[in-house]
Amino acid sequence: MATNPYIALILIPILVGLFNLVLPGLLKKILTFLGMALTGFLTLMLALDPDFFEWIFEVPYFGLDNLGTFALAGTQLLAFIILIFTLKGVDKRIEKSFFVLYPLTVGFCNGVILSDHMIAFMVFWGLSGVMLYLFNLLGRSKDAPESARKTFMLIGGSDACLILGFVMLGFAIPQPSWFITDINVDLTGSAAIVSFISLLIAALAKAGGFPLHTWVPSYAKEAPVESVALLPASLDKILGIFLLARIVTQLFQCPLLIHMVLISIGAVTVIAAVMMALVQHNGRELLGYHAVSQVGYMIIGVGSGSPIAFAGGLFHLINNAIYKSNLFLVLGSVEKQTGTNELDDLGGLGKNMPITLVMALIGAFSISGIPPFNGFFSKWLIYHGLLDMAREATAGYEIWLLACFILAIFGSALTLASFLKYLHTIFLGKRPKKYDKIREAPANQWLSTGLLSVLCVIFGLFALEIPLPKLILPILEENGMGSFDYGLYKSKLIFTMMGVGFVIGWIIYLLIRKVRLDDVYLGGMDALEKFRVTGTEFYQEIRRMKPLSTIYDWVEKKWLDLYALLGGASNTIARLFQKAHPGLLSLYLFYIVLGMLVLMFIRN
Amino acid sequence: MILPYYIAIPLLSAFLISLIAGKKDEWAVLLSTTAGASMLILSIYSLIAQNGETFVYKMGFWSLPIGIVLVQDGLTCLMLVLVSLISFTSLIYSVQYIRHMDRNWKYYALFMLLITGMNGVIITGDLFNLFVFMEIALFSAFALVAYGGHAEEYEAAFKYAVMGALSSALVLIGIAILYSATSTLTLAKIAEKVPTLDPGLIFWTGGLFLAGLGLKAAIMPFHAWLPDAHSSAPAPISSMLSGVLIKVLGIYTIIRLYFNVFNAPDFYMQVFLVLGAVSIILGGLLSIVQWDMKRLLAYSSISQVGYILVGLGIGTRLGILGAVFHLFSHAIFKSLLFYNAGAVEMALGTRDMRKMGSLARVLPITSATSLVGTLAISGIPPFNGFISKLIIIIALIKAGAPVYAILAVIGSILTLGAMMKMQRYGFRGETEIKKISEKIGWRMNTAMILLAVLCLLTGLMLLPGIRESIVDPVVKVLVDHSQYMQLVLGR
Repeated sequence: MATNPYIALILIPILVGLFNLVLPGLLKKILTFLGMALTGFLTLMLALDPDFFEWIFEVPYFGLDNLGTFALAGTQLLAFIILIFTLKGVDKRIEKSFFVLYPLTVGFCNGVILSDHMIAFMVFWGLSGVMLYLFNLLGRSKDAPESARKTFMLIGGSDACLILGFVMLGFAIPQPSWFITDINVDLTGSAAIVSFISLLIAALAKAGGFPLHTWVPSYAKEAPVESVALLPASLDKILGIFLLARIVTQLFQCPLLIHMVLISIGAVTVIAAVMMALVQHNGRELLGYHAVSQVGYMIIGVGSGSPIAFAGGLFHLINNAIYKSNLFLVLGSVEKQTGTNELDDLGGLGKNMPITLVMALIGAFSISGIPPFNGFFSKWLIYHGLLDMAREATAGYEIWLLACFILAIFGSALTLASFLKYLHTIFLGKRPKKYDKIREAPANQWLSTGLLSVLCVIFGLFALEIPLPKLILPILEENGMGSFDYGLYKSKLIFTMMGVGFVIGWIIYLLIRKVRLDDVYLGGMDALEKFRVTGTEFYQEIRRMKPLSTIYDWVEKKWLDLYALLGGASNTIARLFQKAHPGLLSLYLFYIVLGMLVLMFIRN
Repeated sequence: MILPYYIAIPLLSAFLISLIAGKKDEWAVLLSTTAGASMLILSIYSLIAQNGETFVYKMGFWSLPIGIVLVQDGLTCLMLVLVSLISFTSLIYSVQYIRHMDRNWKYYALFMLLITGMNGVIITGDLFNLFVFMEIALFSAFALVAYGGHAEEYEAAFKYAVMGALSSALVLIGIAILYSATSTLTLAKIAEKVPTLDPGLIFWTGGLFLAGLGLKAAIMPFHAWLPDAHSSAPAPISSMLSGVLIKVLGIYTIIRLYFNVFNAPDFYMQVFLVLGAVSIILGGLLSIVQWDMKRLLAYSSISQVGYILVGLGIGTRLGILGAVFHLFSHAIFKSLLFYNAGAVEMALGTRDMRKMGSLARVLPITSATSLVGTLAISGIPPFNGFISKLIIIIALIKAGAPVYAILAVIGSILTLGAMMKMQRYGFRGETEIKKISEKIGWRMNTAMILLAVLCLLTGLMLLPGIRESIVDPVVKVLVDHSQYMQLVLGR
């Protein structure tokens, strides 16, 4: 009987999860670690040699192209590094469930990536959504169940759209097929358009794109932090953008207008989410909104249709997964040491947790697009692609593209502003007395964040040597998107210049060091702790600025939350029908008679 | 020939229970569970051994058209397994639940009569006989709905009885018209004469049957009795009513009459599609605003019956496959969800979800199995509800009815909304529940676990090898409309 070795990448983590149901604590961790290492090794072998499994590969339901290899590599890399963080420090009360869900999640995500058959794809996609719900339920706060409900309504609801999209797509071609690789349709005709919209909803909901993003901040706040780093920060982004890339490169031939719509969705996602991130007081929610904002760049890049922006979008996907999981884990380390993720309660922890501070700095620089970190170059490619498109577009499209370009650039600047607040409120400023004895995070935690930080640097410095040629350019070649010019960017030159600048600055500082450190006084007395400046109020001016204040008010009232809007609308309609069911027997008998009369009337 | 046993065993049990059960219920439990188990074994054996063949049993060895026949084909076997399975798990579940209600053996006698009626409806080949069995099942159901003995339950039972009587009257008039036109009550003989009948007569009798049977199946706009009745009944009876009774008395009879007797007239196929879609959407919407857990589940049954009707309305092989599979799947996950609701009601003494709290610690099995039921009914892969809804959506797209497919997807999201509300408030509420009024025993837990496992395993029925022997014969009976008539009449 023919076997498909790709199945190993799905089965190994799932079996680990099932074994973990019964294994004791330490064995559970060892098994999970070995499982992740094995699937990581298999993925590496596949990335190095696509024919690695070819000698026994027969069953067609699972397969791997270059896009799949890229997504699989990202999934395995992040799952392995985040696992290191979880080996010590997961809340004891949820540890058992956590180590069951973790490998299962990885297995299901691998299943999505490897599935060439639509039904297999739908099954694994749905199961990965269930894992998200179960992880969310592990949250300890009283709001966790509501957050889980919201998350699963959006994710589960989008699963239904995925089913509709795939089924309509399968029958939109002359020879109906269930194999994704068989399908390529022109985006004309109602069936293709409905299918496209349905699949786009599924992709955007999973990745956290506007307007289906609202589950991400609430999940980020309520779920265990390790699961936040794993799912909304990493794997769900990979899956959502993986599907989006399939939609625009393989499943449909999209006209320019569709690309423009996708770019606009991306630009709105960037700016709307970053504006929300600016005014957050909770660290996890702040990062959650940034997780959404960064998806905007990916949607712009992958959805644009420009080869260079497409490469940038995919590169940004892996970069974002690396630095965003790093930032969540850094906050997780702080949270585990201090017991809080409320920015108002934190401050001055840089001296207590210097290694964590460095990791946070690297993550913050990367997400803010500071060269030479990885986030800069992927954004650079996206901007480059947009400008290329604008140059060749007609006047109307040119203005449209430039508007999106400006929003994206502005979003990047606001991200930097937001992370200044993030760094300041946690690591700088005056430290509350209760944190005097706080110690650095355990070794496994900073090893995990350290590895992610190193990747931020390597993927920035050696972007042209490692990730782009090894993982991303083969995808473009496979999809016939041709080659392109990277532009003037030289990462090593910029790194050298920044290094020299930093050294010169340090020398100047050493030469003229005249810094007076003193306590803060208020009314001639030592300032009381309650007067401590936390930094969370940095951007309240923006909150109060007209017309932004009106928009913020709308957001707070949930007028822009699709989940709340649809929920409210369905409740209102349902209550109307509920009024027609008062329990009166005579009325119910009337319905029956009316139903019969309508039936007769239709016939006549 | 084992067909008569499906009527004889439960009927005999009902009488024996009445005769030998004393004040305590031990004998009643023993007799009813033994009867339930034996029917389950018999039905599974029939399903496996049938091999796509149709068997006809002539009662009293009287030949047609004088005698009455019992018929066993693929659809009959599947329905018998379904009724036996849900009855058996409900009986196991009932032992603790009914003792908790402080009631006695009468429950089991009525339960057995309910099964007698349903089994009779399934296997009979005679239209009037079908009506009689239908009434047996209905009268047992009226009594069981009122079994709790409270004012609310009596009111629900009264409404159910009045509307049930109306539906029976409509069905009876339909039977009378058909009899006057064909001079026979045997379904196969009527089917033989249908091509010679005036289409107007088919339309009018079809309308009467649709209103009458639609009421029993709770298809909109004939649905209004269901939420009161299903929420007021004891939990195992709710699961029987929602899980199998509405399907046997309503859907199964509709299938037999419209597909095997009336040859699936186009007009009624269109009506099924429209009424099915309306039921899906309105049932889903109405379930969202309920705070009574069982009422929420009852409204959701209306929505799920809509899927079955839409599948039938497509009329294609795939559509019918989806409808039959959803009928089977829905019986399993809806019964499970009613068991869960019953366990919560027993533990907390309320059905109002606003008064519930976090139950995961105190009722771990109920919570976990309710999640399985929720995922299954919401069409989340890989549970059986996903597979049946997927088949129906594929059938709709393939048949060129994408608007109905979109409505089916919207219905699925509405179902998810209602079920997540149940999970959120019913099982994951803010209040930490530390103490429950009564512990859920092993019998109730076993029934819930069994159905939860089946939510996953029944998806395997569509695997090649199993599908050919179990599901395909059912679809074949319905796709080839005249096959039933030819086989029963021996043509």
